[in-house]
Amino acid sequence: MINRRNFLRAAGGSALALPLLNFVDRRHVSAAPTEFPKRLVLMFSPNGTIPGAWTPGGGETDFTLGSILAPLAPHRDKLLILDNVDMESAHHGPGDGHQTGMGSLWTGIELLAGTEFKGGGDSGTAGWGGGPSVDQHIAKTVGATTKFPSLELGVQVSGATVWSRMSYRAANQPVPPENDPGKAFDRVFGALGADPTGLAKLRARRQSVLDAVTKDFAGLQPKLASEDRAKVAQYADALRDIETRLDAGGLLGGACVKPSRPAISSLTDATKFPDIGRMQMDLLVMALACDLTRVGSIQWSNSVGGKVHSWLGITEGHHDLSHNGDSDAASQDKLVKINKWYAEQMAYLIAAMKKIPEGSGTMLDNTVIVWGNELGVGNRHTRRDVPFVMAGGCGGYFKTGRYLKYPAGTKHNNLLVSLCHAMGLGEQKTFGNPAYCTGPLARLTG
Amino acid sequence: MCASVGLAFVAGCTGTIGDDSGRVGSPDDPRPPGTQQSPQCKGAIEPGRSPIRRLTRLEIDNAVRDLLGDNSKPARSFVPEEESLGFDNNADALGMSGLLAEQLMEAAEKVAGTAATKLATLAPACDTAKEGEATCARRFVTTWGKRAWRRALSEQEIGELVALFEKGRADGGYAQGIALVIQRMLQSPFFMYRVEHGDPATLKDGVVQLTGYEQASRLSFLLFASTPDDALLADAESGKLATAEGIAEVARRMLKDPRAKHSIANFHAQWLELGKLETASKDPALFPDFDAALRTSMKQETETFLDSVFFQTGSFDEMLLAPYSFVDSKLAGLYGVSAPSSSGFARVALDPAQRAGILTQPSVLALHAKSNQSSPVHRGKFVRERLLCMQLPPPPNDIVIEPPDLDPGLSTRDRFKEHSVNPACTGCHKLMDPIGFGFEHYDAIGRYRTKDGKFDVDAHGEVFASTDADGTFTGGVELAKKLAKSQQVKACMVTQWFRFAYGRGEAEADQCSLQRLEEAFAKANYDVRELVVALTQTDAFRFRKAGAL
Repeated sequence: MINRRNFLRAAGGSALALPLLNFVDRRHVSAAPTEFPKRLVLMFSPNGTIPGAWTPGGGETDFTLGSILAPLAPHRDKLLILDNVDMESAHHGPGDGHQTGMGSLWTGIELLAGTEFKGGGDSGTAGWGGGPSVDQHIAKTVGATTKFPSLELGVQVSGATVWSRMSYRAANQPVPPENDPGKAFDRVFGALGADPTGLAKLRARRQSVLDAVTKDFAGLQPKLASEDRAKVAQYADALRDIETRLDAGGLLGGACVKPSRPAISSLTDATKFPDIGRMQMDLLVMALACDLTRVGSIQWSNSVGGKVHSWLGITEGHHDLSHNGDSDAASQDKLVKINKWYAEQMAYLIAAMKKIPEGSGTMLDNTVIVWGNELGVGNRHTRRDVPFVMAGGCGGYFKTGRYLKYPAGTKHNNLLVSLCHAMGLGEQKTFGNPAYCTGPLARLTG
Repeated sequence: MCASVGLAFVAGCTGTIGDDSGRVGSPDDPRPPGTQQSPQCKGAIEPGRSPIRRLTRLEIDNAVRDLLGDNSKPARSFVPEEESLGFDNNADALGMSGLLAEQLMEAAEKVAGTAATKLATLAPACDTAKEGEATCARRFVTTWGKRAWRRALSEQEIGELVALFEKGRADGGYAQGIALVIQRMLQSPFFMYRVEHGDPATLKDGVVQLTGYEQASRLSFLLFASTPDDALLADAESGKLATAEGIAEVARRMLKDPRAKHSIANFHAQWLELGKLETASKDPALFPDFDAALRTSMKQETETFLDSVFFQTGSFDEMLLAPYSFVDSKLAGLYGVSAPSSSGFARVALDPAQRAGILTQPSVLALHAKSNQSSPVHRGKFVRERLLCMQLPPPPNDIVIEPPDLDPGLSTRDRFKEHSVNPACTGCHKLMDPIGFGFEHYDAIGRYRTKDGKFDVDAHGEVFASTDADGTFTGGVELAKKLAKSQQVKACMVTQWFRFAYGRGEAEADQCSLQRLEEAFAKANYDVRELVVALTQTDAFRFRKAGAL
């Protein structure tokens, strides 16, 4: 098993620098070797599902997986399949179906009014998401000491609009995903195991620069109108966050092994979609194993994603297919294939986490993965009955291995509250718009 | 002449599904460009909003090039700009994330490190041996610092920067000290944001005129997509930019500079959404030629064509009507013309019965098509939004709309018939499909065709609910002619340029600025170059609301 005491302080931090090999990370020295952090991983795939093929048969514990979720069968005892959960917040406020679904999937609140995006609804246009997403909210607490508060990884996410952003630091502050596994590697692992003297110098230079830049903000902000001040404050906050983490390093050792830099020939070629996805999932799992972060997300494409899943023998774009009618059997079959393929990706992520032993179990046991979608059914653009699948107990918080069919009117804000509770934010009473929230989602813990 | 205000929405879409009488222009509806009564524009100065603007990746890369002689384009791989209204420079949409801040930091470190190796090329001549390192550093900070922050620095700022230099010098010598200053100045909000306070001496009714430096920045980012050069900074200091005439003169000078080409091309690419070609994909069984190289060629064709028209005649008509284009060997095959004798692009005449201007170029046609077939809906929507400036709301919430099944045994037109008979669809699709049907002679990658599967192509189309382009037509060429005559289309071009140039959507307060632009465009016989110059002459460009102080 892992001996946490042998971990190396690997990046930044030590002005003393030597003797590095014996440096014991203070964050872990008092922790028993069996104490591992809890993690949250969100996964997104677009354009809704095919309910007939998604919905399990049978009851809570004797459920049978439908054809879409069949690839998750090896992990059946680690799953929570949530049926009939509404994204009520996505039925209110400005924005079209994909926009509201995407913007409220993890925020549980309506989009802001605004003129940034053309769309539907009462105002005709919409702005960005109306509040923080659950991953970012949790990261503020859980990610306070890790090198990265959270990691957002994308797989050919195209555009930078309300259709393509699911994570929000706060209202009106979308968090972009990194689409390039190579760049993600450089960012996350670049400093891991690097020469400590060089890192110490770099850190000192960064500190001097950030100290100086902070003065610019202090002089500038009072002279700005409030809207502009809020804009500039985003940058000030981001730099402050970098500054507070200059000291945070990663831990090499045990399951944490610096991976090799992924090489991808094209980031935009649609046929590379599966390869990029694998790379991003591998990076995320290793970042979690190294405790560089405890909150992450994998965003496959974007709402309205038009990816051609050619490796499945499909030639039409996903979004186009999702518009075809229920009686178009060929299209339905292709959509089942596409959604099943995403279930395979989730299964891959689960399996990768299972390979990492932690205490008496695996990383998966200390993690909760939540797979969501901006829609329920694509051709109707519903945001009710959104297909949520969870995996992992999050340190024993969730009672897995169950299929839960909820009564009509169950709102997904409650699920977001449960995620907060599972990750240690026990005080969270509601999440998103409280009008759509009554507390944690029933039955998840047993 | 009329001005357009506000995002115009197509009436009769959400509100009046199935009601053919819902027409744009009824008194209660927001109207498309070209339908507004002329406001009285002789009163107080009205600049509209001036939200603070963050530099875009293109602007950062160009600034790094111009400030440091560094062509590495470090910002190209940053997270993309948040888009709004089709443009990547909308002040309200552009934000700042932790990831971007990190990317900026690393880029600033990198380019500063490179700069340290070639200081002699960046700084005003200064012999450190003779004059001393401290003197040379102060001179660097003062001169290069003005370029980087696009204004003269205060004594206090200079003092602090010199102190930072000393810190770096102590660490690694003179070059290290300068590198630290560069790194720090590039990470500053004074570099990353276009900070404007206006000239307090001009304050009147809550409005201030921009300072010379601020005006220089606006000109430079608009026309060069970069930081002001020394000539512009000199204009700022001489007071030349304090008058509309002085600004116009400088704008004309800048339009003759090769650097303007990149900025104008940037507008064209965003206006026509050409960036999306990079990720467009087609069914490889049907369109095996549609690879990355062909997509690049398609994009280059439209860019080359618009660059040529803009800088040679400036004619908006020609953009829509030209019976020629620029092709390379790949596109020659697609067009069915002989390939140019040399490699690269050459101008070729096209069949004027088949092609006219941008609307019939493969880039636009391929972008607005499905992976395996044409798409009248998307092509109609494109014309509606980018040429007529009308936004189409999607179907309203909570209405179940199951689209018709696609039957390959039907022609494209017949497959979409449901849209014209089902009252739930008609309201909106009437505004898109009948325009898109006019493009049925072009397949999913823009090749001309006479057969749609086994059916003869029927390219009859109709424009509804415009202010002055309504009526039937046949084929893309006739549509282009129809649109070229329309005042609404010309006003839309003004609107698109307004959004791009000012980094925001138009609003009520911009009525007079828009009116002046439309008048100038008309007066110049729709020479787009004159529209661009006119953009530098409005209240919106020269003034701003006084800030917090």
